[in-house]
Amino acid sequence: MWAEINRYLPRFKSAVLSGLEAEGRPFSLRCRPQPDGAGGLRLELPAYVPLEAGPASLLCHSHNENLWNLLSFVLRGQLEKEGQAWVFRPEQFIPGAGIGGLISYVRFLRDGRRTTRRYLEKRGLDRPRVPWQEMQEIFDLARREVAG
Amino acid sequence: MSKIADPPVGLLPELPVEVVNVFNRFFTAELTTLGRGNVPITWPVMPIYWAQRAAFVVLTSIGLPQKAFNIRRHPEVSLLFSYPIGSDLVNPPAVLVQGTAAAPDEVLVSVMEAEPELLEVILLQTRKMIQRQPAMALYMSSPITRYLMDWYFMRLMVTITPHTIRWWPGGDFSISPRCLELSDVG
Repeated sequence: MWAEINRYLPRFKSAVLSGLEAEGRPFSLRCRPQPDGAGGLRLELPAYVPLEAGPASLLCHSHNENLWNLLSFVLRGQLEKEGQAWVFRPEQFIPGAGIGGLISYVRFLRDGRRTTRRYLEKRGLDRPRVPWQEMQEIFDLARREVAG
Repeated sequence: MSKIADPPVGLLPELPVEVVNVFNRFFTAELTTLGRGNVPITWPVMPIYWAQRAAFVVLTSIGLPQKAFNIRRHPEVSLLFSYPIGSDLVNPPAVLVQGTAAAPDEVLVSVMEAEPELLEVILLQTRKMIQRQPAMALYMSSPITRYLMDWYFMRLMVTITPHTIRWWPGGDFSISPRCLELSDVG
């Protein structure tokens, strides 16, 4: 897990930390996690942050101006408070878009089809037909708008 | 660069226009749902701001249903808008929407099935995406990609009704956010 964290975390300027408020509601903000060399990621969080120590996640994601070149991963773990300092202790690295190359993309397609089949079977639903013609018409409209 | 007009501001007049612009212009936001054991898990999504209902819609594939399963167990969610790339906005605020979500079982494959006032916003977002991603045509035209990817276009409609909206001017998280409690509105 740490090999992947050390490989991918430096590619991001910041990460989205999500944890729980005292009332149990999720709360997120951006921060800049730094490995502390002791199995954790040191976080400098402002004093107003309403997060409680406990289960948390860190998301790193990016895309370009055209929503292309996606890259993302999530760390699941525990948020701990040590005095005034916060530490996130990762327990699981979950790869997202752009990680794992072609094999990962093939797995994404295979798993998506498999999960879809199970979802429909479990609910007794027929497999719906995607209206490709309708989508093509929306695409053509957008292309005409771009062309002016 | 877009020739598409922004949707109307809608039912949240107390929000500064720069916050509403974030809802309308950001491509992505970070959706947090609660998994088993109330473990928060966050993934990037492409939310649609449904101004007329003061709500947000996320269309998620039934091939990637975990967000919907989480919401059915724990409806509390948050949606952070903190990644402005592609929005064409200069120094926008970061915005955190906290609310409750619903994820009905109904599977949508046609945007034309949506309610008229939502359809307009979905089409707006779809056209914006297509304009920026001409490669989308490949998915629609090739029988192979249609076969491999049809599941991706079988969608569940997640609707998020906010109860609290916080925003950080300039995206500066070092300062306390400003806050609007929606129960105060009206």
